Amino acid sequence: MHPIVTASGTFNPEQITRVVFQDFSPSTIRFFYVIGYLAIGLFLWNSFIEIRKYMRGKKNGSFKISCLVAGVKYMFSVLLTHRTLRRRDTLTGWMHAMIFFGFSVLLAGTSIITLQYDITAPLFGFKFWYGYFYLWFLLLMNIAGSAFITGLLYMMYRRNWLKPPKLDYTRPDREPNEYDRSSYRHEDWVFLWVMVTIGITGFLLAATRIIWLHDDPTVWGLRWWQPISTVIAYTLMHLGVNSNLAHILRNDLWWFHGLLALTFIALIPRTKAKHILTSAISLIFKDPMAAQRLPRSNPDEVSIGYSEITDFTWKHLLNLDACTKCGRCHEACPARATGAPLSPRDVILSLREFANRTMESQTLPNKAELSVHGKAVDQVFMETLWSCRTCMACVEICPVAIEHVPIIVQMRRKLVEDGDMDPILQKTLQTIHKSGNSFGESKRKRASWVKKLPFEIKDARNEDVDVAWFVGDYASFDPRNQKVTQSFARILKLLNIDFGLFFEGESNAGNDVRRVGEEGLYELLAENNIEMLRKSHFKRIITTDPHSYNTIRNEYPDFGGKFEIEHYTSYLARIIGWNQLTPTRKLNYTVTFHDPCHLGRFNKNYEAPREIIRALGLNLVEMERTRDNSFCCGAGGGRIWIPDVVGMEKPSQNRIREAAKIKDLEIFVVCCPKDLVMFEDAIKTSGHEGHFVVKELIELIAEAIELPTLETAVS
Amino acid sequence: MKILVPIKQVVTLDEDFEFTPDNRDVDHDFHIYDLNEWDDYSLEEALLIKESNDSPIEIIVCTVGNEYADESLRKCLAKGADRAIRVWSNELKNTDSIGIARIIAHIARREEPQLILTGVQSSDFAHSTTGVATAGILGWPYAAVVNRFEPDHDFTKASILRELEGGLEEAMNIDLPAVITIQVGINKPRYASLRGIKQAQSIPIEEATPDSLGMIDSEIGESGSASIIKKMFIPEKLSTAIIIEGTPAQQASKLAKIINDFKGV
Ligand code: SF4
Ligand code: SF4
Repeated sequence: MHPIVTASGTFNPEQITRVVFQDFSPSTIRFFYVIGYLAIGLFLWNSFIEIRKYMRGKKNGSFKISCLVAGVKYMFSVLLTHRTLRRRDTLTGWMHAMIFFGFSVLLAGTSIITLQYDITAPLFGFKFWYGYFYLWFLLLMNIAGSAFITGLLYMMYRRNWLKPPKLDYTRPDREPNEYDRSSYRHEDWVFLWVMVTIGITGFLLAATRIIWLHDDPTVWGLRWWQPISTVIAYTLMHLGVNSNLAHILRNDLWWFHGLLALTFIALIPRTKAKHILTSAISLIFKDPMAAQRLPRSNPDEVSIGYSEITDFTWKHLLNLDACTKCGRCHEACPARATGAPLSPRDVILSLREFANRTMESQTLPNKAELSVHGKAVDQVFMETLWSCRTCMACVEICPVAIEHVPIIVQMRRKLVEDGDMDPILQKTLQTIHKSGNSFGESKRKRASWVKKLPFEIKDARNEDVDVAWFVGDYASFDPRNQKVTQSFARILKLLNIDFGLFFEGESNAGNDVRRVGEEGLYELLAENNIEMLRKSHFKRIITTDPHSYNTIRNEYPDFGGKFEIEHYTSYLARIIGWNQLTPTRKLNYTVTFHDPCHLGRFNKNYEAPREIIRALGLNLVEMERTRDNSFCCGAGGGRIWIPDVVGMEKPSQNRIREAAKIKDLEIFVVCCPKDLVMFEDAIKTSGHEGHFVVKELIELIAEAIELPTLETAVS
Repeated sequence: MKILVPIKQVVTLDEDFEFTPDNRDVDHDFHIYDLNEWDDYSLEEALLIKESNDSPIEIIVCTVGNEYADESLRKCLAKGADRAIRVWSNELKNTDSIGIARIIAHIARREEPQLILTGVQSSDFAHSTTGVATAGILGWPYAAVVNRFEPDHDFTKASILRELEGGLEEAMNIDLPAVITIQVGINKPRYASLRGIKQAQSIPIEEATPDSLGMIDSEIGESGSASIIKKMFIPEKLSTAIIIEGTPAQQASKLAKIINDFKGV
């Protein structure tokens, strides 16, 4: 073994280590072990209570064992890069990374000592914690400790001075006097103080040891391997702490530090600290399609959806505990932003409180007390659930993979089953059942817009076509959208694309019916469409409707319908600039683009529409909230069929207000039929009429390639 | 105790439709079926009575029609009706509301309900006679256009409100058993989820015929009816509406011209 040579001497590496329990009497050591085991026991017991709670939920249908490896990889990739935590809050994300890595290293360091002292040395006589390994260990622990404390101090600063609104626990679904969340605030602070104290006492322990053993060259001579502790030691010495005093101080600090750390560990599963475990597990079981593809209902179950807390899958119960109250979803939610009584965070937290109240004890209360629907402070209002626009902003931004949308839709399924919904929505569902579309028009009229065209369109149900076009309800029946639909047909014709329609064979695709929670009707619609599509003759489907696009692409496969489908923007983006689709007129407008939820967040198509916009020569200025942070028009989740509360700002108006901030904006570009309806209305009602207009991208393409107006084209 | 709820599967039409060759009906290809709106309310009323009573009540829905009508019966079963009867045979094709009332009366004699709740009228033919005719045939008291119904605890009497013209209401007491025709708005019909309707598929629907109900020939079909449909047609447009636009002065002069033209001045 090579001796370690330093400026202050040459050492035998085996002497360079720390004597664990130095100067402790055997009985004190035994006492400490008893406490240690007690802490571990408590940790296990508390974990058991939590696990029992999750086990009281239902099986997680979407999960397959084969996904586990990928899930674990995903979890590590998120934790190591901290990428989900850095989004829309970069500095806090980095600070959390410091806490996380600091904590992990400190925990690993402490475990290494235990590993040698309690396992490898007594059992195998194997020691490794000495020499250079020990010195590097000291340095690393010093760095980790400083990172840990810095991160924590920043969090204290953030909570006390920066006070971001998303961290105050104001609930939009309750009056201020109806709930008390002060315990959350206290817990946040206790959590921070406990950890900071553990960190600081750790440093003080090291510093006092340096002073106490300053005569020992293996300690003093190598003190700069722990630079921070040494600086603290010098400071203390300067303040008059001598070797004796340091010895006494260290002894007391040792117990304080040890007991605090053990208490912390014992309580991890029952406090805010549990997110260390629950978030990681939640990430492992993340369903990347959580909002895009809603869970199927089990036909054998007597009831449908989430009525009682025991109806939740274990994974959703775990989700409730994984929430770190970071408030990202609260901030992103369009319903919350416009004053609706809904915050996705508060839905999760209320349900968490409910689950803890009802399911942590030995026996479950009776069924009546398990209902999550109701007026109690930890139950969820019907109005809250109906406020959701299933825009996925919450699911998309949640750093720990919580599935708000599936939870909300599952709870809505129960409301629908009981008929607890707006009468107009109820009528619409009945209309869709009866006529296959939400407009209550006869099936035969679905393609009545083609009558105005100067050419015939093939019927993909009985003629071979390359491209079959699934038009969707709004583009088929809404008079304003029909004009766009006609233009798109004429563009396809101009491009000599062999295309066809399904005419009256098409039913409402069901995307929004499903998100309303009317699963039976959705199944009917999906099955009808799938059967029709199967019998038709096409190579691929394109659609002008992002809602239909989402459900056909992501949800029909669960019902046996696998079809290649594309939104028209990605289809045209590929061929723009070719032959007839070459812009002949340069459009000089200043425009902004609104990402439709179902195209952008749901299916990650952010680029295609922008490529087209650029190809048309438009001057694109982005809004503040764009791409994954796009702000829902308010139509999703069946909300287009539910009247908004009068006197309150609508999400679409909020969005128009945002767009209006763009200097010299001329056109607000959309590529979704529902957006066209929602925003044209919002422009009028928010007083921006005359300032700028809403246009469907198709209309701009038509203008750029100088497609004659339909009237001139016909005559 | 039983409540009988006769329902009708009505027909709605699109703008374009054709008549059958004999011109006595709309071609069935153009029929869009639905449960009669009024019957939604009468069924709801029956369900509410059932739910607010401790003693067991059986709700029987019945209709006259071919197998297409099963869909509406299923909807009623999904909402909570206990049993469904569908009466049909080819002889029933041209039965009017009186003939239908005879069938319902037979069902009532067999089932002996304490109450018959039905809609005031059907949305397609709007005769408003089936309910009261049933009462006539059975010799039961009846009340029509009822918008509040409160039976007493032992179901021998009920106090009701009837909706009259001009916003008036009439309060009455009625002896039970009786036939009550229910007005829309009396309650809020519940939603029958598709899942509920699917689950109701497993509840069998009793298929009865005039024979199995013990009806005699003179009661069946056209013989038992008081009227027959001779012809169905779209009335000729008598006049067209014009919207007069412009400033008030322009409007006034245009209007004057129209009047003068009409008078032939
Ligand atoms: S889906 Fe959208 S509206 Fe619904 S809770 Fe999430 S963010 Fe809010
Ligand atoms: S649900 Fe997710 S995004 Fe929302 S507060 Fe909790 S951890 Fe943050």
